[in-house]
Amino acid sequence: MTGITEYLILGAILFALGLVGFLSRRNLIVIFLSTELMFQGVVINAVAYARLHHHLQGQAFALFLLAIAAVEAGLALGMIVMLYKRKGTLDAEAWSVMRG
Amino acid sequence: MTPVAPYLLQLLFALGGAGLYLLLPKSDRSRALPGAVLGLLALVGLVVVLAARVVVPDATSFYFYLFASIAVVAAVRVVTHPRPIYSALYFVLVVLAVAALLVLQGAEFLAIALVIIYAGAILVTYLFVIMLAQQGGSPLYDRNAREPFLAVLAGFVLMAAIAGHAGALPQTAVTPVIEAQSMIETSANTTPPGHTAEVGLMIMTQYVVVLEIAGVLLLVSMIGAIALSRKKVPVPERGRSQPLGQIGREVEPY
Repeated sequence: MTGITEYLILGAILFALGLVGFLSRRNLIVIFLSTELMFQGVVINAVAYARLHHHLQGQAFALFLLAIAAVEAGLALGMIVMLYKRKGTLDAEAWSVMRG
Repeated sequence: MTPVAPYLLQLLFALGGAGLYLLLPKSDRSRALPGAVLGLLALVGLVVVLAARVVVPDATSFYFYLFASIAVVAAVRVVTHPRPIYSALYFVLVVLAVAALLVLQGAEFLAIALVIIYAGAILVTYLFVIMLAQQGGSPLYDRNAREPFLAVLAGFVLMAAIAGHAGALPQTAVTPVIEAQSMIETSANTTPPGHTAEVGLMIMTQYVVVLEIAGVLLLVSMIGAIALSRKKVPVPERGRSQPLGQIGREVEPY
């Protein structure tokens, strides 16, 4: 039987990989895919703690997390389409003027 | 189970980080092979170090390491693949592996919901946008990562902070165990925690306000997405691009 440690490490690995992708990739779509990857790590952690405490709160939390992920994906993809229409590229650097 | 020495874990994380740095897309492709070797070495080392603690090996731990390895390898490919459509497909693989891990932990409903919502709905939307917006071939910005060293460094620091000491955590709940309130009339053999009916009851009773808020949030985001994509955006003609800052001025408020 695997303990909680393995699940925590796996969740942290997925989260860190998502962070690396978010910081280093330049394609807007891949950037948002990386945030979805971070969501997966959080879901694993929440469910692992739910099992550790023999309580279902973690699972309910993960379920609401799915709703948030859907909201985020819908809005982000709408914005990506709009940004693509303006500049004709998915490069995040094309919008670096917004840094101010 | 014996705790894992933190420095050993962090050594493996550093090894994996070096592999990831080499794997991130750059103009020269020759670095991919040593990167893959380093990354696989780190993964195998992590599995060996963690699996060595298991006193009684059983099917659960075998399946855990199988699906966890699939998830990690696919996640690395999501981050490193130069073509976004393959990134999205590898992400489907991550979702399926995570769903299998949730089944192992007794969260069957969540696993099915994850497959339906993520692999079914969200990823299809991603694929649509990729088809709408992707130019042919693989453009330069997909083949060049931005500051890969700093990004990997940030990820490594995060890993060391979160998981570096995870091996020393207690294996049982520190707080007194809160039994899942079984609101269903069950017989003597109680339903195991993670049962779908109990999650449903919990959401519809204890978390009903949160459920309503989530519904409102979905509605708001739907309206927002429609409003965003309905807006007429003037496309600058080729060759005569408008100065920056002038593009949005002519948009009629919708």
